[in-house]
Amino acid sequence: MRAVYRVAKATYHEGWRRRFLNGILVFAILIIGSSWVFTYLQPGAELKMLIDVGLGSIRFFGMLIAVFLGVRLIPDEIEKRTIYTLLSKPVSRGQFLAGKFFGGLATVISNVALMGITFYVVFAIKAPQFAIPTEEGAPQYSMEFMYANVAKAILMSFLELAVVMGLAVVASVVFSWILAAIFTFFVYFVGQMSEFFGHLADPETGASPAARVILGTIYRIMPHFEIFDVREPILTDVPIVWGYMGRTFGMALIYIGIVLALGYLFFNRREV
Amino acid sequence: MFVSHTREVANIALAIRTEHLTKIYDVGWGRQNVGIDNLTLEVEEGQIFGLVGPNGSGKTTTLKLLLGLIFPTSGNAEVLGMSLDSAAYKSRIGYLPEGPYFYEHLNAPELLRMYGSLFGLRGPDFEKRIQELLELVDMWDRREYRVANYSRGMRQRVGVAQALINEPDLLFFDEPTAGLDPIGAKHIREVILELRERGKTVFLCSHLLKEMEPICDNIAILERGKLITRGSVDELLAGDVTQYRVEARDLDDEIIEQLGDGVAEIIRLDDSCRILFDSREDAFEAATRLEDAGAYLMTVGPDRRTLEEVFIDAVGEEPKDASSVQGS
Repeated sequence: MRAVYRVAKATYHEGWRRRFLNGILVFAILIIGSSWVFTYLQPGAELKMLIDVGLGSIRFFGMLIAVFLGVRLIPDEIEKRTIYTLLSKPVSRGQFLAGKFFGGLATVISNVALMGITFYVVFAIKAPQFAIPTEEGAPQYSMEFMYANVAKAILMSFLELAVVMGLAVVASVVFSWILAAIFTFFVYFVGQMSEFFGHLADPETGASPAARVILGTIYRIMPHFEIFDVREPILTDVPIVWGYMGRTFGMALIYIGIVLALGYLFFNRREV
Repeated sequence: MFVSHTREVANIALAIRTEHLTKIYDVGWGRQNVGIDNLTLEVEEGQIFGLVGPNGSGKTTTLKLLLGLIFPTSGNAEVLGMSLDSAAYKSRIGYLPEGPYFYEHLNAPELLRMYGSLFGLRGPDFEKRIQELLELVDMWDRREYRVANYSRGMRQRVGVAQALINEPDLLFFDEPTAGLDPIGAKHIREVILELRERGKTVFLCSHLLKEMEPICDNIAILERGKLITRGSVDELLAGDVTQYRVEARDLDDEIIEQLGDGVAEIIRLDDSCRILFDSREDAFEAATRLEDAGAYLMTVGPDRRTLEEVFIDAVGEEPKDASSVQGS
């Protein structure tokens, strides 16, 4: 654990020194901070717009940071040769890989936390204005569970980005970092539609048996990233129950475990 | 050319042993690059061992194999009596890579603290050791500088300090004086010699032959991944030459002609003259006569070669490719 912690700590500090990622963070905070401005584009659906822009930006920019940070963590150590002084000390490759993952994850979580705080402040100020009663007297939106739901949505983003970070780090062990970035984006976007692939694989859709096998395989092996998207219950003010949070957390842990185990198998024989 | 081992190695503790160690890189399209070819080496504990060779001869590949950073294609090796598959030996070694890089957000004490913590080192004694090491490499006064602001020489100095952080029994130094000014290089050589005095084994890789010659006990020369000669420095420099040399300045041809039949060969250098004799007596008698004639005597003794001469004899003067590339 000591070695993992030390590698993670160094990775975290180095992560904050990447100007490109700092630029993404600043831009994301600007967009999220001004998300209320976008509400004027859709009169009557201001709250939906605010949540779509705010939470959507957190997920999107968080994903960009996770991918671009994740795919560079290990290749940079190899290019700069900092890995030599670490692996020649009592640091196993598994510990190194875990340290890079957790250090990168801590950086992403810090970045997303800043975005989340920004959004929460904007939401707390602006959302009550949009929850005004309609002409019929009923509120346009119920706000009973919304504040808790928004906080839970940000927590779900952490889980989603942990999976993305795992994918990015491990892909960079197998491929060049550019290919690893493309691969991670691909898995992320296909993973957003995995339920759709599952639906297409259903015999009732009339797809050919071969297509059903392919679609079914995609459905089974791709991480189901859509489980982390909870904008719908927020907008309908349905509470996001802790049971769902727990199951999603469990799924994220399983995804991360599988991905890191595969990464270890590759990295253990990788020459540096 | 192999200088045979005269010592029985079976009873000598070995710090490093390689047996038919081979590393072949697959460079794609069915082509292979031979990094190390059938390398068999033994490095005794407590000595300074130099691995020399032209650029791309396989020195760094050998180091990386011994450190477990890359994996052999065939053959095997042991470090401190342990197989390379065992991670345990890494607690007892130190490594200075060529042109070392470190995390740029750290300063020197933070860097050493980070590396030390990997060995479980902490507390007041460890802090004292950090100060001692930084003083040893002349970085204590500049300890607050961030690595990002270091010159190459400063990185090298801190690199030496981090290699020593765990008081290792065996040190691997890859081009340890690269980037250092002459005073810094001399200082590092003194550190290496002191390490030997303390019973440590030092495995040096370098192409700076003039620096290796005075400090190494044993040397191996690699070329294109193959071991082409090895032995103690004395053995290598003496070679199979049985002549004696007199080297002097300020002497004219007339004096040289008077030296008689004992002269085996006369080599005129830029500002001096080297005269070789077949017998020791002839050489010393000639030296006396030259000195009496007013010549400035520079050296008298066995005609030992320099390591550079040994190296050029072994490798040849023509620059060669880094290593052979062959179809599989």
